[in-house]
Amino acid sequence: MDYWRFDTVLPHLGYLLAGVSMTIQVSLAAVTLAVAVGLVVAMLRLSSIAWVRAAAGLYVDIWRSTPTLAQLLWVFYALPILTGVPLSVFVAGTITLGCHYGAYLAEIFRAGILALPTGQAQAARALGMTEPQVLRRIVLPQAVTIMLPTIASQFISLFKESALVSMISLEELMWHAQSLAGFTMRSVEVFTTTALIYMALTYPQTLLVNRLHRRALAAQAGTARP
Amino acid sequence: MSYQWRFDVAVDNLPVLLEGLGHTLLLTALAMAIGLVVGLALALMRLSGWRALALPAYLLVETFRTTPLLVQIIWVYSVLPLTVGLTLSPFFSGLVALGLNVAAFMSEIYRAGITSVSATQTHAALALGMTRSQVLRRIVLPQALLRMVPPMAATWVSLFKDTSVLAVIGVAEMMTQARIIASDTYRPLEIYTLVAVVYFVITYPQSLGVDRLFARNRVKE
Repeated sequence: MDYWRFDTVLPHLGYLLAGVSMTIQVSLAAVTLAVAVGLVVAMLRLSSIAWVRAAAGLYVDIWRSTPTLAQLLWVFYALPILTGVPLSVFVAGTITLGCHYGAYLAEIFRAGILALPTGQAQAARALGMTEPQVLRRIVLPQAVTIMLPTIASQFISLFKESALVSMISLEELMWHAQSLAGFTMRSVEVFTTTALIYMALTYPQTLLVNRLHRRALAAQAGTARP
Repeated sequence: MSYQWRFDVAVDNLPVLLEGLGHTLLLTALAMAIGLVVGLALALMRLSGWRALALPAYLLVETFRTTPLLVQIIWVYSVLPLTVGLTLSPFFSGLVALGLNVAAFMSEIYRAGITSVSATQTHAALALGMTRSQVLRRIVLPQALLRMVPPMAATWVSLFKDTSVLAVIGVAEMMTQARIIASDTYRPLEIYTLVAVVYFVITYPQSLGVDRLFARNRVKE
């Protein structure tokens, strides 16, 4: 039997691309949740109340110290038993990826907030700016520039890890690939095409992150100057 | 109706989980070994300055960095046997996929470590009369290695967690065992909670260690 017959897959390309749409949907939903969770947890970790700090720290440690797949299966199979509320595969996937990456983002936000140079804020205040002006004009533009590449590379990881959601049968790209491979008996061509689709979607994102990174380094060099 | 926790079911099956943990640890160690060796080769190829070596290394690294691990595992498991005629057990095809995945990330760590030592130091050492190999051994490598250790340790921790993805091809590691037990006993809550606790207990101290390495191994120029 001959392999690398991509003409066998070409007629079904539309079926794979339908999966891409779901991959993008679940990734966007999870990114939104992750940013929200990350901001809240970062604030709680900087709280002045000790037990709030400890609880937020425990949240981060739990989500960072267990595999995403274990979390996914737990949220989908175990959590509904505890709460009595059944979750759709989409919601379970979004919760898992969102809470998992929310823990990583919380650490990035926290580091970003702590790293802000206090001298500049003091100087801006001395020039007569109000507190919101200091935040909007001086602090946030720099903090965001510095944090952005790290945040963006977390988004790329999330996008790639969304493939795991196929294991609870959310019908995204990887699920479509596995069902197409079974249907056409052309696993070589189907899985290679799928890998190429993921590359085509991820590679531009990594180029963007590299550019953001160079910009952040330039910005940091700028602030370091006396 | 309140839920009847049956942790005795989980405890009864703990030995099976721990047997899976043995495979998880073995896979982590072997994939890390592959990653360290292949990653160094890839990094040296990219730094060699020869396009014929640098380009294939670049393509391999980017391929593994821009596709999901799950896709790589399934690709190695189902495509390699058909096209190369090499039939591997789930354990070995999983090991190949994980090992190459780690190698791709490792090669970037090697490369970043080596190029992070500023060129002025090399120039200065050469001006002092050291040979190329002396510069590498005395000036560049000691600093580069110090910088490489923390990200490599972080890669080890990620790898330990990532072995769970091998459950998709049924490698008998801890996550696979957990899925089998959970569906056999109809006790997903207890089993998946227990397996998460086992992963946590092993990963958390390592994460703390990595944080300390990052804090300690800071090289100042």
